[in-house]
Amino acid sequence: MEPTMKRMPLAGALDALHRRRRDQVVVSTMTVILPWRDRDVTDRDLRCVGFMGGASTFGLGVALARPNVPVWVLDGDGSLAMQLGSLLTVAGATPRRFMHVVFHNGVYDTSGSQPILSEGRMSFTGLAEAAGYTKAVRFDDVESFDAALDELLEVDGPVLVELMTEPLRRDYVKPPVPTEKTPGPLAQDWQRVRDHLAASPAR
Amino acid sequence: MAQQTSHAQPIPAQMLYDAVLAAGVTDVVAVPDTHVRSLIALMRSRDDMRFIQTATEDEAITLAAGLIVGGRTPLIQIQHAGLYACINHLRGVAIDGEFPMLFMIGLLNRDPSKAPRDHLDSMVRYTEPLLDVFDVPYYLLDGPEDVGQIEVAMRQAQERRGPVAVLIGEQTA
Repeated sequence: MEPTMKRMPLAGALDALHRRRRDQVVVSTMTVILPWRDRDVTDRDLRCVGFMGGASTFGLGVALARPNVPVWVLDGDGSLAMQLGSLLTVAGATPRRFMHVVFHNGVYDTSGSQPILSEGRMSFTGLAEAAGYTKAVRFDDVESFDAALDELLEVDGPVLVELMTEPLRRDYVKPPVPTEKTPGPLAQDWQRVRDHLAASPAR
Repeated sequence: MAQQTSHAQPIPAQMLYDAVLAAGVTDVVAVPDTHVRSLIALMRSRDDMRFIQTATEDEAITLAAGLIVGGRTPLIQIQHAGLYACINHLRGVAIDGEFPMLFMIGLLNRDPSKAPRDHLDSMVRYTEPLLDVFDVPYYLLDGPEDVGQIEVAMRQAQERRGPVAVLIGEQTA
């Protein structure tokens, strides 16, 4: 990681998003899942756990099924790097109310902070623009992001927001070994969200 | 589990299309596939099912999962090579996520006189054993008389809350 690169605290970025949370379906993955859930758990929250890189196309599916429902995808840099082709899939489908937020902290935070590739030289904003997103913009401080967010939410998507965030620098924590078969986070979430959306036909 | 005829026959694209529609499919999420290109061309030209193309099979699975959350009933149309490519998403999304997902998998370059698992080509030979490993039920569609299995497979996917596959044994007409 470039030592001189300016970055914002993850908490400040999440607070800015949380202040605008209304009826959006929020699809989160990797590092951001737990801190986002500390702020908000609604019947429109979905956690992508157990596979990497699929959050944006998961959110795209919801957006295509329910075009009047705004969708936010809270993605990770390492996660998106595993499915860069998904930028083309999202751009090609042109979901209108779709904001793809990439938390770019430069490391695989959940696996022990190994660096992502080409850090300091690559740009998810550049990749999204080249793929055909309607708008792509990068922020490295909370104040600028907070000031621009209301306007970004009005842009017809797909919109990609790249947030240069500070890594959490967590050590890898081995998950507990399951002792019985229970539904995982995704299985727990999706039927609840589906039922909630089905009960809200106008939205 | 799979039905196997002695010599696979091409299924007309229109017949497959009608069977998919009759199974209640609202959206087809697909990666380009030469084996069923006549079916894909038909799906692209009609609007009673939405056709959505993805760059990878991984994306096809996650996109289909999102469609299900939004109340739709997708079909995932891929090739055997694509099945090999998306195994972790099949496991992590379709199986562990408990999504009722119907897959249509084209057996490109299959010798119609051989059962798929007796095939010399590894791409064809390992498809059924791989589905067995993951406990994914499947139906081999080896001719026009088998298209009714699509509706059976869809019903099974919904009942078991997991993936079920139909395999297209010969290139569609």
